[in-house]
Amino acid sequence: MSGGGIARGRLAEERKSWRKNHPHGFVAKPDNAQDGSLDLMVWKCIIPGKPGTDWEGGFFPLTLHFSEDYPSKPPKCKFPPGFFHPNVYPSGTVCLSILNEDYGWRPAITVKQILVGIQDLLDQPNPADPAQTDGYQLFVQDPNEYRRKVRQQAKQYPPAL
Amino acid sequence: MASLQHSQAIKGAKVLMVGAGGIGCELLKTLALSDFQDIHIWLSGALEVKGFAQLNAGCFLTCEMVGMIGMIGNVVMRCWDCFYIWLSLLFGVTIVAWWWPGAYDERLPKKVVMIDMDTIEVSNLNRQFLFRQSHVGQSKAKVARDAVLRFRPHISITPYHANAKDSNFNVDFFKQFNVVLNGLDNLDARRHVNRLCLAAEVPLVESGTTGFLGQVTVHVKGKTECYECQPKPAPKTYPVCTITSTPSKFVHCVVWAKDLLFAKLFGDKNQDNDLNVRSNDAARSSEHAGDAFEWSGNEDLEQYGRGVYDHVFGYNIELALSNEETWKNRNKPRPIYCRDVLPDRMTQQNGNVDKTDDLSSASAMASLGLKNPQDIWCLMENTKVFIEALKLFFTKRRKEIGNLSFDKDDQLAVEFVTAAANIRAASFNIPLHSLFEAKGIAGNIVHAVATTNAIVAVFLFKWLKDKFEVDPLLVSRLIRMTYCLEHPSKKMLLMPVEPFEPNKSCCVCSKTPLSLEINTHRSKLRDFVEKIVKAKLGMNSPLIMHATALLYEVGDDLEENEIANYTANLEKVLSELPPPVTDGTVLTVEDLQQEFTCNIHIKHREEFDEEKEPDGMVLSGWTQAPPEKKDGKTSIGNGASTSKSLPTKPGITEIDIEVKEISDVSPGTKRKLSEFSDGSTLDQSSDVDVTRNNKKTQKHDEDDDLVMLDHWDSNMRKKH
Repeated sequence: MSGGGIARGRLAEERKSWRKNHPHGFVAKPDNAQDGSLDLMVWKCIIPGKPGTDWEGGFFPLTLHFSEDYPSKPPKCKFPPGFFHPNVYPSGTVCLSILNEDYGWRPAITVKQILVGIQDLLDQPNPADPAQTDGYQLFVQDPNEYRRKVRQQAKQYPPAL
Repeated sequence: MASLQHSQAIKGAKVLMVGAGGIGCELLKTLALSDFQDIHIWLSGALEVKGFAQLNAGCFLTCEMVGMIGMIGNVVMRCWDCFYIWLSLLFGVTIVAWWWPGAYDERLPKKVVMIDMDTIEVSNLNRQFLFRQSHVGQSKAKVARDAVLRFRPHISITPYHANAKDSNFNVDFFKQFNVVLNGLDNLDARRHVNRLCLAAEVPLVESGTTGFLGQVTVHVKGKTECYECQPKPAPKTYPVCTITSTPSKFVHCVVWAKDLLFAKLFGDKNQDNDLNVRSNDAARSSEHAGDAFEWSGNEDLEQYGRGVYDHVFGYNIELALSNEETWKNRNKPRPIYCRDVLPDRMTQQNGNVDKTDDLSSASAMASLGLKNPQDIWCLMENTKVFIEALKLFFTKRRKEIGNLSFDKDDQLAVEFVTAAANIRAASFNIPLHSLFEAKGIAGNIVHAVATTNAIVAVFLFKWLKDKFEVDPLLVSRLIRMTYCLEHPSKKMLLMPVEPFEPNKSCCVCSKTPLSLEINTHRSKLRDFVEKIVKAKLGMNSPLIMHATALLYEVGDDLEENEIANYTANLEKVLSELPPPVTDGTVLTVEDLQQEFTCNIHIKHREEFDEEKEPDGMVLSGWTQAPPEKKDGKTSIGNGASTSKSLPTKPGITEIDIEVKEISDVSPGTKRKLSEFSDGSTLDQSSDVDVTRNNKKTQKHDEDDDLVMLDHWDSNMRKKH
């Protein structure tokens, strides 16, 4: 089998294991492609803000883009463009060590671990690795304003139903 | 050899039994008496247990004898020779005695989990000896556990009254066991357990009996073949034209009577019915048929019955005869008209027709004074039964008409089908048969033999003993599969066989790809799912992928929009799916629970032979059974009560036998064995007559649990 076969097999496993069991409040499912097919290479996910944090109440949409080289290479994880967080690029791409193939990525990391890892990152930004100016500046210089903006953003992403 | 470490491992060993039926009861008893201490019962359909009154070898033997007496009845009934009876008797006793001293072995595992989804029925009591009359309706697994705990209180038995295919029983659940013992009654569940055992890498000991035949096979991943490496015989099906126009055996007449005529008269009017397909004047025929089969509501019932009779046995035969070609090389049938057989109107017979208000007891035999189901009725008697049964359906059971489907336990339906099959047989010059025989054929009944179950259970146990008592390194050399033979070869009734290597082309344990010829422009995804994925591959929760696109999934966890998407896909033809499935596509089919994946190469093909390839698709590379068996055993359609989803392949079946007595007139017949009267006074109608050989009572009605025939016999193995 080609590399695509390996990715496909692994993604099918991820799909099955997610269906059997996944953390409460999270959503992760293959995306509807343009022709109407459900494509395992792109997953639409929702990450709930952690209770007890400023992110609580928000249900943040995240898209996972897998490549043919998955799981040798990590998926690209994107919030909507302009998402407010110190470690999210303006394009929405998440900057996280476990998602970097040169640092923390290992093929054994599951979709579940990725999503939980990103949920943790929301409330625990890593100021050593800034990816956007807005979020980073406020986070280090004006914690109150930072928290206000986080709470405001949580309201922009209410639960789907 | 057995180091301390080794025996420690054994003490912690856990065993899973799937099914608490005929074999399950025997096995559980054997396990308990040999001091297994932790048994989990998974009640999924076949492990059943009979009631132990006392704890002693005598009881043990008594139970065996009950089985043997039942067996003798059968044997006598079937005119088997005495030599065989003697041998069987000797054998049953020998085996019991053989194992008795081996009981109480400290080193055997002490934990058993048992699963069975069934509840106890009256018909189980003659051989599932852990159960008593008072248990009827209760969970087999739980009652079995309680019964065994009464004489072995220290054993750990965990019963589950659940379906083995339940998602709770997943790979992780299986991994906790050292061995899984199957005592199941259907192919579906067997395949499911086989896959889970492969995934969990737990050895599976599989068993089954069919009358006097039985076998125990051992399946160890990578070492021996898996349960699905060898084809399993499919029930025989008959070409439509043989049934509708050119029957040559009695079974063809029974299928015709059951699947066509009975369905036409009493079943769903909207269902396709080929009863009239062979007429060469379609318009005239359908008009005629409309007249004959529809009861106007005020027409005299006997008149109506005679009309139906003349139509199917007279007019339709005349029509068929008019096609000379058909009969060039065949004996011509003879049209039979009711007036020729039965010139006068039937009068009320014997007067006891209207005595009973109990609708379920309506019986043409009773009202006609016919008593012995083993008598072969003459044409006139068959004609009377035909008309009488038809009348009874319309007078006593009118509400059910339109929804009825043939049920072997429905006395009136069996009477009607027997009579119709016999009249048709007479027309085609085929020997007539008794109601008892016709019922066996129509219901695919094989009589269960308690002794066979007991013998098979012993061999399950023997394997277990070997596994835990012998050095593990030696076990693989000791593995034997054992067959109980119907006809002794070299004076041996038991045949041990070396296990076979895994079949490299098995798609289950060797992951070999399959190929499917299908018309991708005409077949819908639904056809693929129903006929291939579910029926052939036996998957419960399939997930179908084309490269990285999901085409289909099922499950409670799916969201509405996903379900809508998949439902829409089901109705699309393959070539119009997103993305299209065309010649050369490789589909991946996985099962969410079974950890079973296979790749299917799609080959487009325009045309299929409707007779030979009724599915409109051909799967190859799959260990599919040859559809015909030369031994003439038949299983027609699927009348079996617990086999609803097994259109093509029954497993090796654990068979139930029930013996009931219809007590219509004389209340005199008493039970022969006192141990059966431990319950309260029994209703005569459910009386269990274990002797069976008393032909003089002439009131026997064998009322058997379903059985799918399965002649997974040694011939197949020898060819291997």
